[in-house]
Amino acid sequence: MIRFENVTKSYKNNVPALVDISMEFLRGEFVFLVGPSGSGKTTFLRLLLREETPDTGRILVAGRDIGALSESKVPYLRRNLGCVFQDFRLLPNKTVAENVAFALEVIGRPRSVVRTQVSQVLDLVGLGKKGDRRPDELSGGEQQRVAIARAFVNRPLVLLADEPTGNLDPATSQGIMKLLDRINRTGTTVVMATHDVGIVDTMRRRVIELEHGHVVRDQARGVYGVSTDTSTRGVPAISVVANGHGNGFEPSEDEDRIDQIAPARARRGQR
Amino acid sequence: MGVSVEYAAKETLANLWRNRVMALAAILTVAVSLSLVGTALLLRQSVNRQIGEWSNNVSLQIFMNPGATKGQLTEVRSLISQTPQIVKPHGCSYLDPQQSFNEAKKVLASVPSAIGALSPSTVPTVFRCQLTNPKDAATVGSLFYANKTPQVSGVYMATWPGQSIKVMEKITGILQIVLFAIAVILLISSAALILNAIRMAIFSRRREVGVMKLVGATNWFIRVPFMLEGLVQGLLGSLVAVLVVLGSNIGVRWLVNHYNVSLLSASVLPAHQLITIELLVVVMGVAIGAAGSFVAVRRFLDV
Repeated sequence: MIRFENVTKSYKNNVPALVDISMEFLRGEFVFLVGPSGSGKTTFLRLLLREETPDTGRILVAGRDIGALSESKVPYLRRNLGCVFQDFRLLPNKTVAENVAFALEVIGRPRSVVRTQVSQVLDLVGLGKKGDRRPDELSGGEQQRVAIARAFVNRPLVLLADEPTGNLDPATSQGIMKLLDRINRTGTTVVMATHDVGIVDTMRRRVIELEHGHVVRDQARGVYGVSTDTSTRGVPAISVVANGHGNGFEPSEDEDRIDQIAPARARRGQR
Repeated sequence: MGVSVEYAAKETLANLWRNRVMALAAILTVAVSLSLVGTALLLRQSVNRQIGEWSNNVSLQIFMNPGATKGQLTEVRSLISQTPQIVKPHGCSYLDPQQSFNEAKKVLASVPSAIGALSPSTVPTVFRCQLTNPKDAATVGSLFYANKTPQVSGVYMATWPGQSIKVMEKITGILQIVLFAIAVILLISSAALILNAIRMAIFSRRREVGVMKLVGATNWFIRVPFMLEGLVQGLLGSLVAVLVVLGSNIGVRWLVNHYNVSLLSASVLPAHQLITIELLVVVMGVAIGAAGSFVAVRRFLDV
């Protein structure tokens, strides 16, 4: 679904943001990107969205080299990539339903399609009855659900999430993760950059750890690792190209595991 | 492009309303500058018509001494018939003493005391001649009267409108240049104002634009409402200017009719010339709007 081939990207100050990254995400995988601030997670997502282009190397999405896309084709790439951010990025002057509908309207979907898709996706995220509210009348968790609904309403192949729980309390984060997990089960690849140890440790999905632009760990069913398990620190990159394990297709007890996120966080807090 | 007309219209109107103060400023500047351009064009057309009118009616007048003999008249007539620049065969009309006296009374109607001093026997008789090309007036006229001296016996003097028309052309020419210069400055500033209005609109909608880009709206889909906004501002401004130009033409007509200034009757433009000017004004307004918003979208809408 997504393949990085020797991708290097540095910004103007010549500090490399990503160095020689090669990896592949399969259809339907759930991948956590972890690592300290400045490790290259956001650059990784920006490259996928083609807000940036790699200095060297290629990035393939659904078999197409997105670096070779002309500017006018970029919007069509983005229609296949849903995107969720820490700060939600909702339009304050539109209602919940209008916010979600906007994503379909601006890509020219007919009104009848918009209406049915919007109500479906609002039901999916559990906001079926709050379509007429404005974002500022909702809690943070609900706003993030709206953002997810907007990202998913067009049924993208991939959902990118940049610290989607960064602004939310643990219990609310748990709900958001349940939702992302549910979306993942529909076959959507989910790539999520996060600092949330509890979430990563309970979900046990593929974890890619970045440090100074290098992949220092690529682990199926991984944990956050940095502070909880020092043995993985500094270990050279394990080039585990995803093999289908832990990709979210197998029936699992994720729902139960997600329920443990909050306690896991609490445990960590006690340490 | 995939931009529905309904969507574009809705967005454009919403944007205009949201930025109504800036939009109004831009529209009014366009209106003022285009009114000036339109008026300058109007003036130019009127002057050209008026001058054409005058030059065609009478190109050359040859005044004879009041007591000119038949022989002298014949000599002048033969010279006229030998001059190729004078329209043949009836290019010249001769006003006999009585006709010349009547004409003089008409010209001097406002000065009764001067009329009292005149009689048919003291008024110079006159040949009024049309030239094939009014510009030859000086050449032809000098055959009869040059260096303030009659060239043919019996001739008192000759006049042609060349001199006064040249002065008038010069004055209106300067006036036109000044008007156009002011108009050009105003046109540039109105394009800049439209550019700024669109820039503000883009700035106030940057969240929407960000989301649009995120969910994969095409560049044109994002750009078109902003470009239309500038276009509409230019168009509205030019429509105001159209009314101003129309108004000034009506005003001139009213003046001409009201004060019976038949001398200036050609200043009132016929419909087809007026429509040409108005169309030009509208086209310029739309072009200014398009140019301003195009630059704004190019520079400030980062898609």
